[in-house]
Amino acid sequence: MTPARYLALWLGLALCCGAAASDKIKVVTTTSDLRSLVEEVGKERVEAINLAPPTQDVEAYEPRPHDVQKLRDAKLVVRIGLDYDLWINKLLRDAHVDLRRGGKGYVDASIGVPLLEIRSTSFDATPGHSHGAGNPHYWLDPANAEVITGGIMEGLIRIDPAHGTTYKNNRNAFLARLKPKIEEWRRKLERYAGAPIVTYHNSWPYFARRFRLNIIDSIEPKPGIPPSPSHLAGLIRKMKEKRAAIIVVQPFESGQTPKLLAERAGALVVPLAPSVGSVPGIDDYLALIEYDVSLLAIAFEDRRRGKP
Amino acid sequence: MSDAIQFLIIAFLVAIVLTGIHAYLGIHVLSRNVVFVDLALAQISAFGATVAFMLGHLPQSTAAYGYALAFTLAGAVLLSLSRHWSGRITQEAVIGVIYVVSAAAAFLLIDKAPQGAEHIKQLLVGSILTVTRDDLVRLTALYALIAAFHWLFRKRFLLLTLDPARAKAQGLSVGWWDFLFYASFGVVVTSSVAIAGVLLVFSFLIIPAAIGMIYSDNIARTLYIGWTAGALASAAGLSASYGWDLPTGATMVCAFGLTLALAGLVRPVIMLRGNERQRLLRKALRGTLTGFCIVGLLSGAWLTINPRADHPLLDAAEAAQPEIRNYFLSAAEREVYESAVTVESKVQGESARMNELERASRWQGSDLSDDDVRRLSSYVQSFQEMRKGEQFVQREIRNKARERQRWVIGVPLVLVSLGLLLFTLK
Repeated sequence: MTPARYLALWLGLALCCGAAASDKIKVVTTTSDLRSLVEEVGKERVEAINLAPPTQDVEAYEPRPHDVQKLRDAKLVVRIGLDYDLWINKLLRDAHVDLRRGGKGYVDASIGVPLLEIRSTSFDATPGHSHGAGNPHYWLDPANAEVITGGIMEGLIRIDPAHGTTYKNNRNAFLARLKPKIEEWRRKLERYAGAPIVTYHNSWPYFARRFRLNIIDSIEPKPGIPPSPSHLAGLIRKMKEKRAAIIVVQPFESGQTPKLLAERAGALVVPLAPSVGSVPGIDDYLALIEYDVSLLAIAFEDRRRGKP
Repeated sequence: MSDAIQFLIIAFLVAIVLTGIHAYLGIHVLSRNVVFVDLALAQISAFGATVAFMLGHLPQSTAAYGYALAFTLAGAVLLSLSRHWSGRITQEAVIGVIYVVSAAAAFLLIDKAPQGAEHIKQLLVGSILTVTRDDLVRLTALYALIAAFHWLFRKRFLLLTLDPARAKAQGLSVGWWDFLFYASFGVVVTSSVAIAGVLLVFSFLIIPAAIGMIYSDNIARTLYIGWTAGALASAAGLSASYGWDLPTGATMVCAFGLTLALAGLVRPVIMLRGNERQRLLRKALRGTLTGFCIVGLLSGAWLTINPRADHPLLDAAEAAQPEIRNYFLSAAEREVYESAVTVESKVQGESARMNELERASRWQGSDLSDDDVRRLSSYVQSFQEMRKGEQFVQREIRNKARERQRWVIGVPLVLVSLGLLLFTLK
């Protein structure tokens, strides 16, 4: 290699990297799970950030002044939808027209997902997750990641058609890793199919559907309203009757009531991670499901062997 | 059943212990006119607990309790000083500022923490149901200690509260004893709020003491009455919460409020004698009648002005006595109305069945495919829309009837009420 060529090579590389760094597509997502999936599809072409921190209840998030700035730089917005991240509507009102509903930089990840617990198209106060539009925790079914990444891919192609093939290939590579994993996870929990469990809020129906778990009830059926003594007493009776040995909670949910129920009904409180990053060390989507499935399998195994 | 009884018994015992100490402290608080002091102290201690939490100590650890206590004592110093500052502004204003600032500061800190929102909610409503037997024992011991301390120095504490000028004249160090009062008060409130929440602790503090003070000037008698009222209100609140499937803390607060209202109503009947009582009863009767007339007048006028709006009085009458409908619906209307009700309940049953089917399929039998799930969802949605349609029909029929009623019921109601009102006011 002549010195001139060598120099040219380095120059070329530098230009390439410089260009790549500067025209990375900025993507804003509402949750860390969507951010992780955007990164899977966009890889080094995108720079994604999530607005709501994964350690808190996303539905109760209050936007910060910085979020406006983040949206100003963004080319693509990806949200959960179904009233889960309603707070972003206020931010989008002042954002670029492309980022608003119907714009080419707007992705509602719930489009196309087979939704559970749809109660009505208009507002209706129903128990359970009080969203008539359907339960919003659909990312907890790993099979839904296929639809979600599909929506993300289409969004990325809309704003960056030149790299369409890259996004398609990235997504296919991700799905190729995901699908055998789903089989593996299902096998892991197969023998506990139909096992009765209790959850704190009604946040796990998609997870339960994929892994064939029987959620018999939740501790707080109406989010935000503390359970009544008759509900708790009924719950304990039901748990004893059906031998429900596991209470699934999320890290940000109150610990007292699950502890009390666990003592009275002889069950185990299992804190599962609802989102990427809600427990330290869970850095991407596959790790999230892996963590929840493994923890649950261990808990079931412990209960089966009668360990405390 | 036994589980429920166990919950309720422990919660009731906790309520008794809380009533015991808070009714006494409430007398001080009411006499000193510092009603919101418990909120301020509770919030400062919560702020301390939050600081401990952010520094890496677990909630409910000794360190967390130490921080909470230290902050509470600092708050007690501030409050005992506030008596001297409150020349141009009232002490209540200082207390309010302490409350909002410590609440906002805790909010800023906790913003970064998981369980932050849950923590703040917990502080507000508490969870008296999840108190364990050990908690109860610990709480009782602590409060007994503080009660003993107050009993020992009761003369000084009472003098300071009821007549601070004389206390000063007698050479009592007002600042020091104020501090001791607020410090012991802070310890109590910190522990109470941790289990029962701000709303309920406020009720325990103010309402039994207030009921006692309505009936008596004597401290001992005030206490007995307050304790009895607190115990009764707690029992009523807990039973209502169990019987009607309601959140316990909020139900108890409402029970306390009702007890106070009842005590206020009954007082004149018990306390007055002979002629005076009769005069009062007559006055009350006339007041009630006037009230009814005004309600009737307003309802009638509202029906005449806007027959399609909400009419609570008519709705209540209709709910209590569905046969009323027969008087103002024609036979054809009645038929449509009844079929709408039937279809509505049928559709609702059908959509509940679909939901149950989906729910069961998550773990039983062969699982539904994604398309099956979508199909089920769209059935449910259509059923819900049908249900809304049937409800719309019912509302329309009723609104049409109300438009006719505006002349038949509305105007006469106005005239009759007005006549009665003029008669009672004369």
